Amino acid sequence: MKLEVLQENLNKALVSASRFVSPKAQLPVLGNILLKATKTKLIVASTNLEISVASSIGAQVKEEGEITVPARSITEIVANLLPGSMSISSEKEQLKIESQSSTLVLSGMNSADFPSVPQKIEVARAVPFPKEPFLNALGQVLFSTSIDETRPVLTGALMIFASGKLTLVATDGFRLSQKKISLPGKLNSRVIIPKTALIECLRLAPEEQEILFDYKEKENQIVFGFSDTVLSSRVLEGDFPDFEKIMPKQSSLSLELDKEDFLRAVKLASVFARDSANIVKLSIGKNSVEVLAESSQAGNQKTQVEAKTEGPGLEIAFNYRFLEELLHAIKGETLRVELSSPGSPGVFKDASDPDFIHLIMPVRVQS
Amino acid sequence: MDYDNKTLWRDILESVRVSVSPAIFSTWFSQTHLMGLNKEKERFVASVGCNSPYVKTTIESRYFGLLQDALVSFLGKPCDLVFSVKQDPIKSTDAGILATPLFEEEKGDEGFASSLRKARIRPALTFENFAVSSSNQMAWAAAEAVVKTPGSAYNPLFVWGGVGVGKTHLMNAVGVAMIRKDSGAKVLFCTGEEFTNDIVEGIRNKTTQSFRDKYRRLNTLVVDDIQFIAGKDAVQEEFFHTFNAVTNAGGQVILASDRPPSEISKLEERLKSRFEAGLIVDISAPDFELRCAILQIKAKERGVELPMNIVQMVAGNIDSARKLEGFLVRLSSEARLRNSEINEELVGSLLGKRGEENGQPIKASPADVVNSVAKYYSLGKRSLLGASRARPVARPRQILMYLLRTQLQLPLVEVGRLVGGRDHTTVMHAVEKISFLLSNDVQIRQDILGIKNSL
Repeated sequence: MKLEVLQENLNKALVSASRFVSPKAQLPVLGNILLKATKTKLIVASTNLEISVASSIGAQVKEEGEITVPARSITEIVANLLPGSMSISSEKEQLKIESQSSTLVLSGMNSADFPSVPQKIEVARAVPFPKEPFLNALGQVLFSTSIDETRPVLTGALMIFASGKLTLVATDGFRLSQKKISLPGKLNSRVIIPKTALIECLRLAPEEQEILFDYKEKENQIVFGFSDTVLSSRVLEGDFPDFEKIMPKQSSLSLELDKEDFLRAVKLASVFARDSANIVKLSIGKNSVEVLAESSQAGNQKTQVEAKTEGPGLEIAFNYRFLEELLHAIKGETLRVELSSPGSPGVFKDASDPDFIHLIMPVRVQS
Repeated sequence: MDYDNKTLWRDILESVRVSVSPAIFSTWFSQTHLMGLNKEKERFVASVGCNSPYVKTTIESRYFGLLQDALVSFLGKPCDLVFSVKQDPIKSTDAGILATPLFEEEKGDEGFASSLRKARIRPALTFENFAVSSSNQMAWAAAEAVVKTPGSAYNPLFVWGGVGVGKTHLMNAVGVAMIRKDSGAKVLFCTGEEFTNDIVEGIRNKTTQSFRDKYRRLNTLVVDDIQFIAGKDAVQEEFFHTFNAVTNAGGQVILASDRPPSEISKLEERLKSRFEAGLIVDISAPDFELRCAILQIKAKERGVELPMNIVQMVAGNIDSARKLEGFLVRLSSEARLRNSEINEELVGSLLGKRGEENGQPIKASPADVVNSVAKYYSLGKRSLLGASRARPVARPRQILMYLLRTQLQLPLVEVGRLVGGRDHTTVMHAVEKISFLLSNDVQIRQDILGIKNSL
């Protein structure tokens, strides 16, 4: 293989590829990045056997071919080269890189052992996603996923395609986010996608113009296609918990409060809450909410937040981290909260966005 | 095939292991499992599951031949391979169990369940499965009122009645409803005996303070079989103070006993007067309609389907709620054992044998039974045991045979001999007939009850 490529382009592709290399893999080739020259493009691909990414960047190809090279070395090398044109050529299992002032030879490996990675999305069967709403939805849902690997399904987000809508759901067993966006089309399926794949989607997509999505049910694989990058991931198998069942049907108390005020109060409370298992108490009275936190060592605090309340007063305690993360995810100015008892989940909504629902399980406190 | 899929696949992987490097083996082959092996004519078709699409494509494109050769040499027949992406069911079920436990609703439920456990309340006894009729309507309404406004509606609520009329169920239902309303509510359900034991233990371990903390700070104290504390001075005194502490703090006290407070002997005056200050309601034995309702509820809980005529037949023949449940257990297991459905015949045959299981046959001689039946119907003994088959005589005779058979457990032949030398099949018919009539004839039920009482 022999080609000329711009350092900026290659660097970008290598950075995103290097995130999906498994450095400790037993099979050395999995620690490598695949470079493949086709007629007009250079394809940079990597996989950790769960997720794969393949970017094609424009290049002047003089000779086609492919090789794999250690991810760390190639990323560091290219990152440190000067911007501008550079030439790459491979001979047997060695890669030769020539930049304006440097010449390097890097030992690589035959690409035959490298697993096949989707490099193209089948445009005909793929579904275009509305970019802005989809990325917003990811931002509002992904923070609720679990990091606990013992419950794999919770480490991903559930996507439900039904009747012209895409519903995204994520939960870690203590809280749950659900966001609906409209998605014309007849797609009708449920799929759980690993969080890492969706986060990568968030990283890649902003600069792209369109997002294409394809679910290969037979392969248990999903593919995201951007204008020159293809991201594919394995689907998480298993049953997502029946989240519809736990959506509270009614509430005894509802309140509306200003998001910024409430966030400030929660942040203030967190100073003391950190010492006492992250617990922040909300004492809801008539037209106000008191946010309390106390620590046996550091002290205690109380902040009053104005609110429109409907229903009898209530005391309820939450983990402040959950509240904080939720408040960061909400776009509107007003937060709607619906509660029914100190032991049942609180429902949080964005007053300006009927498609977003968040549940948080309260912390049980002994009074 | 001598192999099951799992061992076969393990053996095949072992043989593959020899020909590839350890890294390749652990990266690719250890991620596969055999999902199924079908025999089609002279060929085998093995479907191989791979954990991820990358594994599948790699194995399919690079190691297909290797796997096929291994399979062929193990199975001794040509073999085709089909690959698909599927997690190993054994591993994924393990993960599935782990995946569920802390999901919100279960968590909420757990809180509810744990407060029930803490309150020593049985979650199965609720208002939903409490059947109400005239015999217990008053008690039920009082209990509902207590749930709505605890501490003020009726305090204390004193429920009394015989065994198996539903006192405990009702009190439990109050506890469940209170905890459902507020899972933090401090409710405790105990029996008079447990209360006594707690005090004794407190005195013995010098921990009466913790005993007081446990009882006196409750929102709701439910004590079953309170009559057991009668005659125990220290216990009564402690209960008196507990009672005062709970009610003064606005808490609710619910008590149950087998007789009204005025009839509990050796109960201190001050306790008696306090018990009488609240509402005293009695629950009498369930009537026929209530028994039908109870039986239907119990049958539904056990997932047994009982047609209405059977429900009536059983409820007509059995008079206490506990026995109904016992009979239902017997009926369903008998039906399963005989592999037959529940029909009148089966119920009739079990009802006929009922005497031997409830263990409380009437202690009377056959002659006594004959006399009381004759007396009850104002019939001469001679005509009762005679040959007339007119209904006014024959029906009492059948009742007599029924009683002799079910209450005294006499053999069929012996019953026949006692009732004027009749054949044992006549007796069988009589017992069946009366069992059946009991299910839909109020008069016969009352007659039998009257005769039993006169024995």
